[in-house]
Amino acid sequence: MYRGREGQWAFVFHRMSGVALALFLLLHVIDISLVMLGPDGPFDAFLVFYHNWPFRVGLLAVIAGVVYHGLNGLRIILMDFTSWGVRYQKQMWYGVLGLTTLIGIPVLWKIVPEILGVA
Amino acid sequence: MATASSRAQRPRTFADARAMASSSSELGWWVFMRISGLLLVPLAFGHLWANNMAFNAGEIDFAYVAGRLAQPGVKIFDSFLLLFAMLHGVNGLRYSIEDYVKRPGRRFAWKMVLFTVAGIVFVLGVMTLWAFSFEEMGDAVRALGAE
Repeated sequence: MYRGREGQWAFVFHRMSGVALALFLLLHVIDISLVMLGPDGPFDAFLVFYHNWPFRVGLLAVIAGVVYHGLNGLRIILMDFTSWGVRYQKQMWYGVLGLTTLIGIPVLWKIVPEILGVA
Repeated sequence: MATASSRAQRPRTFADARAMASSSSELGWWVFMRISGLLLVPLAFGHLWANNMAFNAGEIDFAYVAGRLAQPGVKIFDSFLLLFAMLHGVNGLRYSIEDYVKRPGRRFAWKMVLFTVAGIVFVLGVMTLWAFSFEEMGDAVRALGAE
């Protein structure tokens, strides 16, 4: 069975994070391109707006999305190009979730105090 | 053996991909997603490390970005990230459109919008990374410090 099992959730998360990251990438290139307008341009005023906490929490979601999508992508590559990958896909997915959480701990430790203004 | 258990009916192994690909270019994109994905892991993780872990992202301003983009290594690193992320991301969005937009006219329209926007954003990104020479960028940073 595929529906409702680990493999389907792995796919759903991969698809959702992928679409979100692709849309973020388009937005990110546009906002950074404002540096072309120079030091007296709108870049700094725009960044001050981006430094508000909802956007910084959003950036944490982007980081989580990149880490999950990247690690799950490695799982997909192993499934596609090794003889044993499909057999261990479920275990590897739990590994992806575990590693994403593990990487998330120091990231939150570093960035949450910055957002709260106590860094 | 081509498995058809998923609704999207995507190939699960290279042998599947070769058997199921509707054209050699689709097989090429299937392979590209794996190769670019592998390259994007160090590129994207490194980019996030530099700007979110080695630095407080809440303090990013013009001087920080100008200072980074004045470094040839950063320009080259971010150019590869831009190239592979754009191709990988746009192709992923194309897969999504093909999975969820079934009416041919709408599917075509969505794809045209995607490719147009992505093309413009890619050029904008290349301009941002390479618009200034290293020297001009260095001058801009020094001028900023002198104020």
